[in-house]
Amino acid sequence: MQPFRLHGTRILEVDLRGGSVRAATGSMIAYDGDVTFKNAGMGGGDGLRAALKRRATGESIALMQCSGTGVVRFAKDAMEVLLVELAGDTLRAESERLLALSDGLSTDVAFAGLRGASSGQGLFTTTVSGHGVAALLSAGGPPIALEVSPQYPLVVDPDAFIASQGQLNQTFVTDVSWRTLVGEGSGEAFSLRFDGKGVVYIQPEER
Amino acid sequence: MGFTEINHKVVAADVAPGREVLARRGAMLAYTGAVGFAPVHAGQGGLGGMAGRMMSGEQVPMMVAQGTGTVYYGHRGLHVTVVELDGSGPLTVEADRLVAHDAHLQSAVVFLGSQGGLRGAVRGAVSGQGLFTTQLHGVGAAAVLSHGGTIALDVRPGVTTTVDPQAFVAHVGQVTADISLNASWRDAVGRGSGEAVQLKLTGHGTVFVQASEQKI
Repeated sequence: MQPFRLHGTRILEVDLRGGSVRAATGSMIAYDGDVTFKNAGMGGGDGLRAALKRRATGESIALMQCSGTGVVRFAKDAMEVLLVELAGDTLRAESERLLALSDGLSTDVAFAGLRGASSGQGLFTTTVSGHGVAALLSAGGPPIALEVSPQYPLVVDPDAFIASQGQLNQTFVTDVSWRTLVGEGSGEAFSLRFDGKGVVYIQPEER
Repeated sequence: MGFTEINHKVVAADVAPGREVLARRGAMLAYTGAVGFAPVHAGQGGLGGMAGRMMSGEQVPMMVAQGTGTVYYGHRGLHVTVVELDGSGPLTVEADRLVAHDAHLQSAVVFLGSQGGLRGAVRGAVSGQGLFTTQLHGVGAAAVLSHGGTIALDVRPGVTTTVDPQAFVAHVGQVTADISLNASWRDAVGRGSGEAVQLKLTGHGTVFVQASEQKI
């Protein structure tokens, strides 16, 4: 596994010692040593099944495989970087908020429920599972981790959602009234509700 | 020297007689003391420099701050990095990233083609940095703009540091930049890694890289 570390809050540094790491296409900003970059393929390098699922669902993901020896730095649009460790559990993330995945992690597409239809994020979400570290992006400032426990369910704005981790049940809450229909809504008609036990990461900016 | 970073996005410059500061026109946020501002037209570098600027499009209107006091500079909420020049090598930076610098630094517009022949010209054309860039010579300080702040990477002999041209901000010291094309058939069919064009830096100095691939 490659050591992932942060340089400041917006740049991810990865030591490559002959291994490889997958990162969002075009996110490399600088490297030392001898590193090659190759498109990870249609499904982001997770095989034909995942590739077909991605094509069918539109939850596309553009990853490149970086391999060799050296130090590579990744960043995207000056967004803050968040490192999440995975020990065999599953992370559900927005595909456009993925910056890099260490070796040993694989991605897939999962049905996210009806929430996507109106939040414009698609009906499907990307899942990351395995053992390793995933680097996620947070726009507008540092990300916030909110804990969910059975007594305290959490409701978040779908536009601010980055990722969730743990045993969580995700439901879609609508609060549409006649006010929304006549254009006098509060702008918070759709929300995501999480029940169970886990952590939800949000960003301080709405897409 | 004269520049102090107030926070990530604002820089303060001390102005005194004989210690004037050149800055991008309109970048002044506030000042204390008796400071006057005057537009600078041709910049330094004489007639040749002026002709170079006019031809190259590498031209950002500048102004000079004179008098005694402190001037605060910033531009569009972008991050500012202060780069110190110890005279051992020039600072090479895109003109629109330069927000302020000591007036006694010699500025010149350099044709990249003269640096590396045809490859330099290709570098400019491909990286979108233009064929011309600004170089500052002398001992002093300059304030450089970036999107999301910069990190400084050491360039030393024996190690090649490679940078994404879109994330490149500036380099200082005896550094040579060379374009390297890693394009393959994959890029031609739209399945590239997005890292086909890279800037290879060799020599001795520092390169500044921003955490974003956005232009100013």
